[in-house]
Amino acid sequence: MAAIEVEGLERKFEGGITAVDGVDLEVADGEIFSFLGPNGAGKTTTVRMLTTLLRPTGGVARVSGHNVVEDPAAVRRSIGVALQEAALDPLMTGRELIRLQATLHALPPDQVTSRADALLRRVGLTDAADRRIGGYSGGMQRRLDLASALVHEPRVLFLDEPTTGLDPVSRKTIWEEVEKLNDEGTTVFLTTQYLEEADQLADRVAIISDGKIVAEGTPASLKAEVGKPRLEVSVAEGTPAECEDVLSEFGERLPAKDGTMIVELSRGAAEIAPVVRALDERGILVEALELVEPTLDDVFVEKTGQHLEAADDESAPDPGTGEREALAE
Amino acid sequence: MLSRQTWRVIGTLGLRSAKQTFRRPQLMAPLIVFPTLLLAIQVGGAGRAVDLEGFPPVDSFLAFMLAGAMIQSTLLAGNSGGIALAVDIEMGFTDRLLAAPIPRYAMVFGRLVGTALLGLFTAFWFLAIGFVFGVQFTEGPLGIVVMIALVVASAVAFGSIGAAIALRSGSASVVQGMFPLVFVILFLSTAFFPQDLLQQPAQAIAEYNPLSFIINAVRDPVVFAFTTEDMLKALLGIAIIGALGAVLCARAMRHRLRVG
Amino acid sequence: MGATMTANFATIGAMIGRSRNELLRVPGAAIPGVLAPTIFFLGLTAVFGNLRLLDGFGVESYASFLIPVSLMQGAGFTGAATGVNLARDIENGLFDRFLSSPAPRWVLLAGLVGAASLRSLVPGTFLFVVAMAVGAAFPGAIGLLVALIATMGMGIVAACWGVAIALKFKTQSAAPLMQAGMLTLILCTTAYAPQELLTGWLAVVAEYNPATQIVEMARQGFVGTVTWAGTWPGLVALAGFIAVLGAWALAGMRRTGD
Repeated sequence: MAAIEVEGLERKFEGGITAVDGVDLEVADGEIFSFLGPNGAGKTTTVRMLTTLLRPTGGVARVSGHNVVEDPAAVRRSIGVALQEAALDPLMTGRELIRLQATLHALPPDQVTSRADALLRRVGLTDAADRRIGGYSGGMQRRLDLASALVHEPRVLFLDEPTTGLDPVSRKTIWEEVEKLNDEGTTVFLTTQYLEEADQLADRVAIISDGKIVAEGTPASLKAEVGKPRLEVSVAEGTPAECEDVLSEFGERLPAKDGTMIVELSRGAAEIAPVVRALDERGILVEALELVEPTLDDVFVEKTGQHLEAADDESAPDPGTGEREALAE
Repeated sequence: MLSRQTWRVIGTLGLRSAKQTFRRPQLMAPLIVFPTLLLAIQVGGAGRAVDLEGFPPVDSFLAFMLAGAMIQSTLLAGNSGGIALAVDIEMGFTDRLLAAPIPRYAMVFGRLVGTALLGLFTAFWFLAIGFVFGVQFTEGPLGIVVMIALVVASAVAFGSIGAAIALRSGSASVVQGMFPLVFVILFLSTAFFPQDLLQQPAQAIAEYNPLSFIINAVRDPVVFAFTTEDMLKALLGIAIIGALGAVLCARAMRHRLRVG
Repeated sequence: MGATMTANFATIGAMIGRSRNELLRVPGAAIPGVLAPTIFFLGLTAVFGNLRLLDGFGVESYASFLIPVSLMQGAGFTGAATGVNLARDIENGLFDRFLSSPAPRWVLLAGLVGAASLRSLVPGTFLFVVAMAVGAAFPGAIGLLVALIATMGMGIVAACWGVAIALKFKTQSAAPLMQAGMLTLILCTTAYAPQELLTGWLAVVAEYNPATQIVEMARQGFVGTVTWAGTWPGLVALAGFIAVLGAWALAGMRRTGD
């Protein structure tokens, strides 16, 4: 049984707004599945329907085998939810929130304390557990939010933009925790507007735009669809013509950009060393060499004609594993 | 004497203040709906008070209560103006004004123009209620004009207190928190009952409460007749409140400029 | 089934516990809910106190006549505050946390209104002390119990109203509507004077307003003796309001995903 099955899911709002327009998807048990798209694409609306917070106006959705409309209570028993807003009570302590969540999920009273302790330890909030949430940093609040979503060991975990607004270190911490959860068998449905997040974490990615899925697959397969890695080469004056000849041997030449020559490597990144050797053998002095891999943004551009991150003003700082790797200069 | 440019600034800010006020019905509703509701309930609930020994000879309890309802609404308008100024401070809009080459007092005066217009609206509203429910205005059209003038002047005076609280605190919720005090001041005045029939110590306080002076003067054209004494007392009451508001505003503005 | 009910009661208890936090952890949080009805009680007693001199009024002390109304007002403000707090939780997403849990909707509602019912005792207790201080008659043990039931019951009614409004408008800006609704309900009764002395439209409305029965029920001990005949209409009115407004609030909670 798939963890999540969706057919023709639709949500229309008053005023003729269609936020989700016929989405089909299936998330296998134990998978990390990412919904990638700009603000307003329909990600949060989809999550809210799958977590029974919003009623679909069309289509069918099943989570853990239960229909979200016909059997929402069963769905709620099987899911953990950390929504876009951390949604915490600033007057409560971290421990009190976890205990409240445990009570809401009908954990037996004799298990509540130990479960709260274990979760707080897991997310590194033991020391802050008895402080009010109002005094927590953004990263701490997110970790607490995640912990409270896990209190009943859900089969499926929904994370709606879990790292939006976090600094790079906090973001990495959340990523590590998500990977650990997945290793333990939890299915994760993650929405994000950050390329790196989908790229790093997800087993499969669905790119959503204007309420429709425009592409779906593993990050590698999606990127391979739109092109091969490109090598951008800047050389010393006087040798560009020779350089162009060399580069042509390794793949299709693309239009130059500001004096930088670009070649699409037909056999991928493995060609870098041979290119460098060939240029060296011809005595061409290379000033800069940069490998540019296709990104999920390139996939988005291919499918929708616009950039994913340009569609959104709130792009996040890269946590450190960027798409560009500057090579030898 | 204010320069032409200053008048222009005050007029512009006043227009903004007025537009803000009248474009947000949810802000106006508490000023109109609540006093009207209270008026209707109190007239129905305590209307037999006119039979009490010592109650002034009036055509109806509504005629007696109308002035109190008007001034209640005007007090709330002053509070509302203060809240609007506090929101401007919280939003940073006042920084924009402070960075402009305008006199500091223009900021407050502009806000008071909006409050005065609100006072005018409430005066017309309750006059209309009076007409609809058969209240006779003993002093006729002149009396009505005087009522309106006193209500508008009161609105400006009350507004200056609201503005002072806003400037000092910079917080809309603090100004909003003054709301219960409006009723304390009203209950300790002749807003809802004749002075001689109030319980002590409210009776003693009402005798010297500037609000009582204003309310009595607004009431005269409806149920009694103009009296010079009541009129002078009302103007004194407005002047006292206005002067207090002006002093508090000046000090609060200095404080705000000092702390940023 | 037993385990489920235990879990449900635990959830209700947890939500009441959360509500307690605001009173205990926010300095001055209780003040507005206590201050407003107290100001009205003292103010109206000072202003309209001599109404008792009218023929047919039949009480020694206007404070005794008025205090039940103020108790209802205090409960009304508490219920409205419940609605405002819920609207805040809706606005900041915290309520989604409750909605996405397996706790049944009626349990969530019971937690909210249960908390309001208990919180209405805060202004109620303060008002009672103030009333005794200004000379209101002590209602006796039975009278006090009946007034307590009326106060807590009105707290539930007001909370159902506040919750229903919060779920409908999903914004704290609806606070005036929550407050005005309850205030109107309570004041359109024999709040200021006995039925026979009311005039005009209010006389008609108060005669048919079920809230009049609740006010009269609470008033018994303060102005005379408590009787079953004077109590059961108030209980029926409370039950009726709770049934209607509770159903509306529950429907709103069930419809949140629509």
